[in-house]
Amino acid sequence: MQAVNLLPRDISVPPMLRENPGASVSIRNVSRSFDGNRVLSNLDLEVRPGEFLSIVGQSGCGKSTLLRLIAGLDKPSSGEVLIDGQPADQSGDRLRIMFQEPRLLPWATIADNVEIGLRQGSDPKAIHEALTSVQLSEKAGMWPSVLSGGQRQRVALARALVSHPSLLVFDEPLGALDALTRLTMQNLIRDMHAKAGFTAILVTHDVAEAVALSDRVIVLGQGGILHRVDIVRVGPTSRGSAELAAIEAEILDAIFAA
Amino acid sequence: MSLTDSLSAARNRGSGWRPSLPKPEALLPYAVPAAILALWEIAGATGLIADTVMPRPSIIVGTATQLALSGELFTHLGVSAARALAGLVVGGGIGFALGVANGVSRLSETLTDSTLQMVRNIPHLALIPLVILWFGIGEGAKLFLVALGVFFPIYLNTLHGIRNIDPHLIEMGRAYGMTSRQLFRRIVLPGALPSVFVGLRYGLGIMWLTLIVAETLSASSGLGYMAMKAREFMVLDVVVLSILLYAALGKLADTLTRALERRALKWSPAYAGR
Repeated sequence: MQAVNLLPRDISVPPMLRENPGASVSIRNVSRSFDGNRVLSNLDLEVRPGEFLSIVGQSGCGKSTLLRLIAGLDKPSSGEVLIDGQPADQSGDRLRIMFQEPRLLPWATIADNVEIGLRQGSDPKAIHEALTSVQLSEKAGMWPSVLSGGQRQRVALARALVSHPSLLVFDEPLGALDALTRLTMQNLIRDMHAKAGFTAILVTHDVAEAVALSDRVIVLGQGGILHRVDIVRVGPTSRGSAELAAIEAEILDAIFAA
Repeated sequence: MSLTDSLSAARNRGSGWRPSLPKPEALLPYAVPAAILALWEIAGATGLIADTVMPRPSIIVGTATQLALSGELFTHLGVSAARALAGLVVGGGIGFALGVANGVSRLSETLTDSTLQMVRNIPHLALIPLVILWFGIGEGAKLFLVALGVFFPIYLNTLHGIRNIDPHLIEMGRAYGMTSRQLFRRIVLPGALPSVFVGLRYGLGIMWLTLIVAETLSASSGLGYMAMKAREFMVLDVVVLSILLYAALGKLADTLTRALERRALKWSPAYAGR
């Protein structure tokens, strides 16, 4: 039986020297309450340009809330979220989101759906390039209803990438996919991240996925960060290797200790 | 290639074409109406049903041909169709506009929706005595009644369509930097369209119903007038012909709307491959 090989990050090019160095994210003393119920409390977090950070934790731990604050879809009750030093809701098309559902417009063709992510006034050729990079260029003229779940999520990825964002946030984007499609998508996201160099923040409940994709995993719980793990990759690592399994166990322990 | 060349080429291509008979399954929906017509004709011809009670199909076809040749039929048809269309445009237009306004703006909805719901519960035909006093028996009365009848199904279904748009799509649109105008044009309007079409088809039914009643009560032209005049002179075949024409016009309007719907909603799996 062969393990699925995960390509190592292209470490020969430091993030700062890539065409798109990725945005830095600063979360300073952030709290968020809903009807008096405090979900996040005085949270601090720095994300380096080009880093792939995963946020894991039990359901209701506030990981989606944190992601929505970073994406500018919600405002903190106190504290600030800065992207490259600017408030999150002013980042425009430098920030893109991938949701758990593909959220494609059913009445627009695949190409028109990707066009939504295109920067105003930029070359429409980018649509074709983005679709080619997710291997769906031949479906450009079709309706989303004819695609499979995995293909739809790939269109959503193309829509997110077409404007060459410097920060991409993922809200459990692979949660609704079957196990095999999920592995394919993980490899695709890793490749894209290695090539394009954007900063990526992924919320997931799948610890193996977090470990497979990220440079750093944080465990959220009780309104704050319970645990941080840096994952240093030197050479090819394969899913199921002893090192990764040990990291997964460490993270799971931290989650259940909460 | 000259024009005559291309014309003859087109003719040659066409010469291979033979009108093919429709498949037997395609004829099935027409089997029952055809059988009824046949029985009706036989019953009339054998004297089982007197022509003074219910003229048989062949007599009605004769009357229709006669009225068509004299041009009278098309005058009345045209007048009725114009009234129906005017009422649809006015009532449907206002209904759509208010549906959109109330679907998009909470303030507009709070201001108008409960009033509209109250008015909706009045059968619009109950207003006929009032309408005749206001507008007399002119075109205004008919336009008002048809517009009022068409208004509600289109208003309610437009509002419902906008309400039921997936809020996730709106959030996606905002997150991807769409302006309110773009949100409306790219998400709200196409998302509400299937429901608007339901309202339109329902409204068309009410449109014909209202028009028949309005024209039967008071008119000096139109299909309803033709039927009422025929009744006074006991010309039963014209009465039956008017009724059949209403059925045909209703079916025609529905078929056109369906075709439009299929075109506009071709993205929907419900219409794919049809």
